[in-house]
Amino acid sequence: MPGLSSCSFRYGQSSRFSGVLSLPSTSPGEQYTTAFLPLVQFRPSTYAWQVVLGQAEGERTRQGLRNSVLISSLSSLLVLLLGSFAGYALTRFRFHRWKNKDIASWILSNRMFPPIAVAIPFFLIMRTLRLLDTLPAVIMAHTVYNLPLAIWLMMDFFRELPEEVEEAALIDGCSSFQAFFRIALPLSLPGIVAVYILCFIFSWNEFLFVVTLSYRKTMTMPVIIAGTLTVRGLDFWKVSALSLLAITPPVVLAALTSRFLIRGLTLGAIKE
Amino acid sequence: MRKEATKFGFLLPGLLYLMAMAVFPLIWSLTLSLHRWKAATAAPRVFVGIENFLNIFFRDPRFWNSLRFTVLYVAIVVSVELSLGLLLAYILNERIRFRNFFRVLFLLPMAAPPIAVAFMWRMLLNPDAGIVVKILNSLGLNMVRWLTDARLTPFVLMAVDIWEWTPFMFLGLLAAMQSFPVSLYDAAQVDGASRLQIFWFITLPLLLPIMVTLVLLRAIDAFKLFELVFGITGGGPGTSTESLSYYTYTVGFQYFDLGYACALSWVFLVIVLIMANFLLRRLRRGGMR
Repeated sequence: MPGLSSCSFRYGQSSRFSGVLSLPSTSPGEQYTTAFLPLVQFRPSTYAWQVVLGQAEGERTRQGLRNSVLISSLSSLLVLLLGSFAGYALTRFRFHRWKNKDIASWILSNRMFPPIAVAIPFFLIMRTLRLLDTLPAVIMAHTVYNLPLAIWLMMDFFRELPEEVEEAALIDGCSSFQAFFRIALPLSLPGIVAVYILCFIFSWNEFLFVVTLSYRKTMTMPVIIAGTLTVRGLDFWKVSALSLLAITPPVVLAALTSRFLIRGLTLGAIKE
Repeated sequence: MRKEATKFGFLLPGLLYLMAMAVFPLIWSLTLSLHRWKAATAAPRVFVGIENFLNIFFRDPRFWNSLRFTVLYVAIVVSVELSLGLLLAYILNERIRFRNFFRVLFLLPMAAPPIAVAFMWRMLLNPDAGIVVKILNSLGLNMVRWLTDARLTPFVLMAVDIWEWTPFMFLGLLAAMQSFPVSLYDAAQVDGASRLQIFWFITLPLLLPIMVTLVLLRAIDAFKLFELVFGITGGGPGTSTESLSYYTYTVGFQYFDLGYACALSWVFLVIVLIMANFLLRRLRRGGMR
């Protein structure tokens, strides 16, 4: 992990200011002081944004944002596809060799694994497949990370749907797949959107898989933030600007779906 | 028989994906854990049986150190978060007017990327320019080395975790309290129960099941502590804040001692799965009526 592995404990000539998230607007060249009142203690400027988005590092930041958006949206889409199928199967059909409950518990237990335990073999597999530092590798990792939760939550939604509508459709000659796509899926659309957003947030915030699977081309925003930690220390203004870019999308999405987020975070134990 | 094909057609894509991407890597990791494989050197992979596991348990003080830190961390963080969350939920339960506002506000630390949270706190606690440190200094705590004192820094890390995750307990408990029937409280009040009695004999017993679930959820999650360590202390000073995840990561991705890292991650996995087993039983009861 070039660049990132050096996470030793250093406070070099770190930077000029604190006052965390008001920082992006401060300019360098001022004294190394604690300043957090704009206009009173320091003169705001757009210097940090010019560096982060402009000539100097703009390409890297835009690439990070692009990767974050691509990875989160595509992996969540894949999660939704696989998850709604499996969730539907476990609520509408009865399995015999292993009971539905056992399959569902086993699926959810995948969510509890410490990511680092999967990350090491995953890294080796991706290296063998020559997929390190590619989008598919990270997307696959995030899909397996989110899939158990999505299946578990989708089961809740399908269980709440009245089965009668689908049964009527089946009697009228619909196949099970048609009943799923034409009836169950549209009826549970709000739930599906909520699961998608939840998976999007988790994937956007995920750090360990990205930091182990990518080192240049596929870094997401969290890893770019971590990459600002150099031997010289931490550039407060740069970290602040990048953090704002990384924090805003998940926080806005979470605020929009605040009710559902609790449900997702508690694995469906609390239904508000 | 057509029905059989359909139901497996629905289930298998997801199931096979999990098998291929979670079960297979873990089994492969188990076989690797029986090998000595230091990828940083040119030495070939050698089968050594359970040597790695013997080394972990009997010859690796750093493992025991990280386990001790992680267990202490989980114990303290979860109990403080539960108490604070309960307190907040109890206070705010009656002022429903601001409920939506508080919910969104309290969600923010959990929704932000943990690594961004970690770096933010790293800046806030910077000894030269961190605002929090400046404020604490002005309170007369200027000799305290928040991030460079091996006895203190673990607790600073816990404080950040408490800041980040108390809302989880608070929001979970608040949601549960809101769902309790008002009639129970009315009846108790009519019978002349004091506020403390109502809390102790009605609210708390009703909350208990959800409290256990929340504690298990939070404990499993806290056990995997990685980003805060990575971003704030890097395991230091010394190895005083090295969590199990972070130690495994270091062995795997910095020393590239892959056999040993796989063995470590399996020890880790077994510990987490024991905890997860309790949680799964509870979730099943709640979710699969």
